[in-house]
Amino acid sequence: MPELSLELLRDIAWPFALILAWVAGEMGHRWLRLPRISCYGIVGFALAAGQAGLLPVTRGGPMALLAYVAFGLILFELGYRINLSWLRANPWIALTSVLESGGSFAATLAVALAFGMTTLPALMLAALSMSTSPAAVLRVANELRSSGQVTERTLHLSALSCGLAVIVFKSVVGYGLLVSIGSVLQALWSSIVVLAISAGLGALFGVVVPGLLRLFGRLERDSTLAFALGVIALTALTEALKFSPLLAALAFGIVARHRRVVLSQAQRNFGALGDMLTVLLFVFVAATIDWRHAAAGAVLALWIMLARIAVKIAASTLLARVSGVTWRKGALTGLALTPLSVFAILLLEQSRHLGLALLDEMTAIMAMVLALEVIGPVITQRALIWAGEAAPQAER
Amino acid sequence: MPLEPFKASASLTLGVELELQLVSPGDFDLCDAANDMLDLLARKPFPGDVKPEMTQSMIEVSTDVFTRYEPLLAQLRAIRDQLIKAGDRLNVGLCGGGTHPFQRWFHQRIFAKPRFHELSALYGYLAKQFTVFGQHVHVGCDNADQALYLLHALNRYLPHFIALSASSPYSQGVDTLFDSARLNSVFAFPLSGRAPFVLHWDEFESGYFAKMEKTGVVKSMKDFYWDIRPKPEYGTIELRVCDTPLTVERAAALACYLQALCRHLLEDHESAPAEDDYLVYNYNRFQACRFGLEGVIVHPRSHESLSLREDILATLRLIDPHAQALECGGALEEIHRVAAYSGNHAWALRRQREVHGSIEGVVDTAVRLFRGEPEALV
Repeated sequence: MPELSLELLRDIAWPFALILAWVAGEMGHRWLRLPRISCYGIVGFALAAGQAGLLPVTRGGPMALLAYVAFGLILFELGYRINLSWLRANPWIALTSVLESGGSFAATLAVALAFGMTTLPALMLAALSMSTSPAAVLRVANELRSSGQVTERTLHLSALSCGLAVIVFKSVVGYGLLVSIGSVLQALWSSIVVLAISAGLGALFGVVVPGLLRLFGRLERDSTLAFALGVIALTALTEALKFSPLLAALAFGIVARHRRVVLSQAQRNFGALGDMLTVLLFVFVAATIDWRHAAAGAVLALWIMLARIAVKIAASTLLARVSGVTWRKGALTGLALTPLSVFAILLLEQSRHLGLALLDEMTAIMAMVLALEVIGPVITQRALIWAGEAAPQAER
Repeated sequence: MPLEPFKASASLTLGVELELQLVSPGDFDLCDAANDMLDLLARKPFPGDVKPEMTQSMIEVSTDVFTRYEPLLAQLRAIRDQLIKAGDRLNVGLCGGGTHPFQRWFHQRIFAKPRFHELSALYGYLAKQFTVFGQHVHVGCDNADQALYLLHALNRYLPHFIALSASSPYSQGVDTLFDSARLNSVFAFPLSGRAPFVLHWDEFESGYFAKMEKTGVVKSMKDFYWDIRPKPEYGTIELRVCDTPLTVERAAALACYLQALCRHLLEDHESAPAEDDYLVYNYNRFQACRFGLEGVIVHPRSHESLSLREDILATLRLIDPHAQALECGGALEEIHRVAAYSGNHAWALRRQREVHGSIEGVVDTAVRLFRGEPEALV
């Protein structure tokens, strides 16, 4: 019964890939001291359709939605840790963000154009390279139980850069549509309106969910579950309406936090649910990458990565002293901002329905994501350890 | 190392030390920010002094030596403002309170300094459980015998300071039912409790201390965690039972209450302290820790039961002339307010838990109160 076994294989491929990734994550973490997420990425990439061929090609569908939920949970948690009043009290942090993500945009654009890329894809690539992967930094920081200025700044700068990257990316998409279709309306819709509604929906959830919790008067016990359900609902809604689930989840977290209902320590990462979905997220994203694409974009990717790291370190170091830390901690913050991953692929995935079939054209981003999904978390991990902010080995 | 000689200082001068909590405004848990805070604070002159404490989530500040309430309070406020300014730049919240309401002691990190690592190795989990925050008040003494006299004469008043300063009702996430749960952590140490009943410095030095040193149990006065201990190198006695209050105003008031009380003890000659006074000492101390101002203590001489609240109010009337002489009427007004109607900070924190519905809300209020926002108390 060859058909049956093939079908069977397809059905069990994902769960077994997740188990394999989890095992690799634990082994890599224990013996090689690698961040677990790096190992998940390696397994996902190795098993993907283009490589070992174990995992089926997935475009959209339930796996993609689950990946969005996973990323939504991470962005929510990150948003929840963002303290907007810090940015008011210390505007140098916000300035660092503008400088490092703006610099990353400019540097990437320059490199891409120098490599002969056309304007629109180059602009998109530049927009994507602005962001630091919140999944990577949050996971690594939680894994190390790291605490201090480098950790705190990396998390805040990551959230800010994601927000900026989504805004710039959607604007570029809007511009692209204007150029290719010539419709002002659709251009505006795909950029400003989508951004505004996504953030608005997130903010609405941020008001309603804590409000419900307050109504029930059980803030401490039930908040994790309620927020997780909120993120799932918000992701499904924004995804179905073709808005931005990422921006919505971030806005949800930020608004919920400023409503003063607080997650307790035990609920970091959304517990086992969050852990499971993180495995899925990293396997899924790496599985979208085909080695042929990655290889084709490798040289350009290398140059962009180098330029990007240099800009992030330079910007963060430049403003270190005035923003209240040592030069060294400033440089380490810049270094910790290296990861670029998941986010870019998800954004590109989402733009597919607009008719701008970019994922297959932008091979450089594939290579970058592959490299930085595996290496990026290791760099962040090292930066936090060098900064002396990781908990002692025995206590993690 | 023999005991260093008692360095005389001006009688009734004051110095205040406060151990403060460093909390993350993100989740209101303690955060390991001492290094970053100290780095930033070192950039410009600090009013008084600031130094690391046992774990990375604590910081200790101390004032210069003062004789009067107003300048002491002014410096405490200056210290607070400078700390808050640094905290704002680093996204670190500061607050008082004898315990952090829900921190997990096993998550605390020992500050990288040889003495702290030695203590951590010796005391094991006790050292980390010692993530508690106290206010220490130094009172200057012009000779060593005066120091020992004051130390023992104060025994009967010690519960006042516990009850008035109590601000640690919560520990490890639960209501302990104590007003000062912090002192329970201190009692776990083998050399805690009261000082031995010796009234002459020579006898203390050549007798008790020399014998203890010979046992190898102690090396210096630092190894004693007594409720009140002499500090020969400063020429002071140090009262160590107070929880760090939620405001610097309360801290200054407690210090000056002690100052006025010491002046009363030195000038009005109550009956001399006796060894038997200590028969009720631990019981009274428990009452103050457990019930705060609602506690009922036993008078060491008359053996009658006294409401702690009433006893404080009576003492305030008794020492009023000394407060006038020391110009610390404002401080005693604050103490009167606490004892007569507003209650101690443990009570205030419990009320915040009810209002906010979450223990994180309690920390949020503590952070805002320390910033000098009294409206945070809803």
